[in-house]
Amino acid sequence: MTEIVALPGAALDHLRAEIRAASWFAALGEPLTEGDQADAAAYTASLGLGGLAIDLVTDWPQAERSLKAPDWSPAWWDREETLRKKLLARAEARYPERALWGALTELTTEAGELVHGKAATAAARMGEAAKASIHVAAGAASQAVYQLAVARLAGEVDSLFESKFRLFAAGRWPLGVVGSRLVLF
Amino acid sequence: MTQRITVKTVEELKDAPEEYREAVSKLVISHAINELYGARVFDEPAIAYAPTPYAKWLTCRVAMEEYGHHVRFKQLGEQMGIPEERMVPGTGKRPLSIFEFPLKSWEEFVAIKLLADLAEILQVEDLLHCTFHPLRNLARATMPEERFHAQFGEDFSAELVKTPKGKAALQAAVNEYFPYLPSFFGGSKSRNNEIFRKWNIKQRTNDEMRADYVKRATEIAAKYGLTLPEVRQAA
Repeated sequence: MTEIVALPGAALDHLRAEIRAASWFAALGEPLTEGDQADAAAYTASLGLGGLAIDLVTDWPQAERSLKAPDWSPAWWDREETLRKKLLARAEARYPERALWGALTELTTEAGELVHGKAATAAARMGEAAKASIHVAAGAASQAVYQLAVARLAGEVDSLFESKFRLFAAGRWPLGVVGSRLVLF
Repeated sequence: MTQRITVKTVEELKDAPEEYREAVSKLVISHAINELYGARVFDEPAIAYAPTPYAKWLTCRVAMEEYGHHVRFKQLGEQMGIPEERMVPGTGKRPLSIFEFPLKSWEEFVAIKLLADLAEILQVEDLLHCTFHPLRNLARATMPEERFHAQFGEDFSAELVKTPKGKAALQAAVNEYFPYLPSFFGGSKSRNNEIFRKWNIKQRTNDEMRADYVKRATEIAAKYGLTLPEVRQAA
């Protein structure tokens, strides 16, 4: 039986600092660097969906088409969801339920407002983004924050949510798996 | 008769009449709980039903904004001295009946955003001139997000009605959920509403809001070729 302990305030503060320091959406459309490719390779390896090629889209309309592509891979989404639920169950066994839920909600709300503004700035800079796409970008980024927080609170230090967050922190937006490709913006 | 007072800060609230303080507390508790129920029962489960990553992440954002509304109302309640347990579900106040039906499909979620979020907009609109300014300001901060959620309902309704199958599924969802929505505005002879209006915390009677809602919901449904089922009004 897992002992119920207090939430790790220092770890949450550290995560908050990482969120504030991240270059949210600052490198959208730019050529991929070696670092981006290494993070993308780590992310695809963690997904365990076989060899995925890395693809790059360079503007918002392309990104929107990719996000609505009929051949997008539900396996990618399901893999993340399965892991999230497993890690959330582990965190729930470790921390008081209301404190855990409150911390995750407040962290995600705070991050959501930050990334929404960053997505709006990127969209204004690049042009051609549908208004709703800013909300989509903010949803994707705040989900990444939530997933990472759950993983760390569960004591998982090397989950696929770490490499996914690193891509966002480097200014990228991983748009998901379409066919046999991980698409990055 | 209305009473003319204005409460500009949470600190000033302690000097307001007890009836006024109780009335604004009831509203804050009600919003904090209902925002949380909505996010838990509809928005978060809808992410799994959304058909594409675009729709999934848009739904994620909507869910997070709804959770965020709960957080904002709860923070205001905490500043007012309301215990946290009174602002979360399962601790006394019964949820609205619509929250007792678990979400079963994407079409249901779209119908809820189209019509239930319109009801939420009307509730928030009525607070935009509230004499308790912290609540008025919170309503103003919340309003653009509520409008976006209703627009989400319109945008995905427009997508669904492009096919006969999608339109039929959306109409079925409207038929199932709409009958619960007019009661969202409370009883015709509500004592709470009388007190809210007496102190200019809210502006309109429950019946005036309900009639306005049904009119606006009918117009929005018609834009997408949808009809609203007859609803028997309870007092």
